[in-house]
Amino acid sequence: MAVVKKKSPIFNVIRFILVVIVVCWALFLLYWGVVTSLKPPAETFTISGISIPFVQFKPTAENWKVELSTRESRSALINSILVAIIASALAMSLGTPAGYALARYRFQRIKNRDLTIWFLSQRVLPPVAVVIPFFLIMRTLHLLDNIFALILINATFTLPFAVVIMRQTFQELPPELEEAAAVDGCSDFDAFRKISLPLAVPTLVAVAAICVAFTWNEFLFALALTSLKARTFPVYLAGAEDTRGVQFWFIATRTILAMGPPVVLALFIQKYIVRGLTFGAVKG
Amino acid sequence: MAALRSKKIKYYFIFPSIIWVLAFTIFPLIYSLSLSFFKVRLGKPLTFVGLFNFGRILGDYKLVNSLRVTLVYVAVTVTIQVILGLLLALLFHQEMKGKSIWRALLILPIFCTPVAVGYLGLTLFYEEGGPVNSILMSLFNLKIPWLSSPNWAWVSVLLLDIWQWTPFCFLVILAGLQSLSEEVYDAAYIDSSSEWQIFRKITFPMIQPVVIIVLLLRLIESFKIFDIIFSLTGGGPGTATEVYSLYTYRTGLRFFDFGYASALSYLLLAIVMVIVNLFFRRIREVYE
Repeated sequence: MAVVKKKSPIFNVIRFILVVIVVCWALFLLYWGVVTSLKPPAETFTISGISIPFVQFKPTAENWKVELSTRESRSALINSILVAIIASALAMSLGTPAGYALARYRFQRIKNRDLTIWFLSQRVLPPVAVVIPFFLIMRTLHLLDNIFALILINATFTLPFAVVIMRQTFQELPPELEEAAAVDGCSDFDAFRKISLPLAVPTLVAVAAICVAFTWNEFLFALALTSLKARTFPVYLAGAEDTRGVQFWFIATRTILAMGPPVVLALFIQKYIVRGLTFGAVKG
Repeated sequence: MAALRSKKIKYYFIFPSIIWVLAFTIFPLIYSLSLSFFKVRLGKPLTFVGLFNFGRILGDYKLVNSLRVTLVYVAVTVTIQVILGLLLALLFHQEMKGKSIWRALLILPIFCTPVAVGYLGLTLFYEEGGPVNSILMSLFNLKIPWLSSPNWAWVSVLLLDIWQWTPFCFLVILAGLQSLSEEVYDAAYIDSSSEWQIFRKITFPMIQPVVIIVLLLRLIESFKIFDIIFSLTGGGPGTATEVYSLYTYRTGLRFFDFGYASALSYLLLAIVMVIVNLFFRRIREVYE
């Protein structure tokens, strides 16, 4: 890169050390969670400091065995998986055509840009502002403690991602292919389905993954609308303290189980994260 | 030009989403607005109370407290996150080995379940023999009441929030830096300007739009803070960390005062709207 003047080796060493420190800082919480989940319960408080496994204690998988064999834990995991996948699929299937329409057609009465911003403005809304009406609506519909309610709500909150990012993706595809197809008598819908959509699949998958991660992490609505049957993993985690006292090994196992899926997903969609998290305002 | 196509089909493409948003965002908001004019009790008929619920806002000292906590929290965390994010982005904006791997690891906190971050924080800041205190104890003979003192509880919330969201600022600003053209720099180096001058006169003005977007996104998200505080301090000790969302949530879903909670949500919505409007012109430019 031409950006940088030749820096002295000392400068590079210092910078490398800083980078390592920063990354360790970023990973420390995850490290701490994993390590604590591997400690034998009896030694949780006797092992001090940052608790290096194998050096300060002998790791055990006991906590994980207990956690994964708990029926409530498994049912919460299944709820979380179902809600995340179905809500994201719903958001993508609603949002992808909308994004396409905003990219390829011109709307007269309300401008495309203003429609886009209108979709985006849903993300501005603090969730707590609608948690009470949702609670009362779901109560009336007898959908409290039902994952269906969470699916609807999470699809709503992730829809702006789908619309805005898919719009940008379709805008960046050359329109010539579709025009050529139209000349050959291909209908507009087929042009979307057979030409543009396949080209947009990589982004589509990445956006869906971001939606899954966000839905998985959602806590407020899951807490307000579910109790035992439909609770998602974060809500189950929040119950841990009350039911078992300050048992850190359980908390650690559960937090890592909660964080694991979105963190692993994030590793696979590196290229799309910047664009995804900034609603296309910044390209990564 | 494709943009000139204006067939019926575009409405089939976009209407499902519009109807969905109207049904699941706008309708609840209107419902909530109407609730705020009533005294709402579960299983009992609504009583119309006019502006009574909004009037209560004026004399509610707990509300004033939660508003103050939230505003301070937003101002402090967002400022620190953006500045740290910028510094980290500058640190990474150089040639180095394995850069993409370092970056990938550094941004993992963004994806950690916030409520889980709070519970891990609980074990981390545990006062009797938790890792933070045991390290501080052995190094400085210091024992900090992380969660039992109002001020320190504040600090622990801030630390976790900064830990989680600084990587976001870093990532986006770094993307902004990497999109800058290199010629400008070459010219600047030929003029042999100092590093600081190059940053102040060239780099910063050019990435300013990106920094503003980061700032805006963080402002919006910060007002939503609920999870970390719910799990780490529960708003305590006392009401020292009771942010607006938590107060509203409790008013509505612990004390079932739905009418007043709806009035409270509208106040929050108004505050956020004012802030977003300050950025509105910038937002329109981005989506031109």
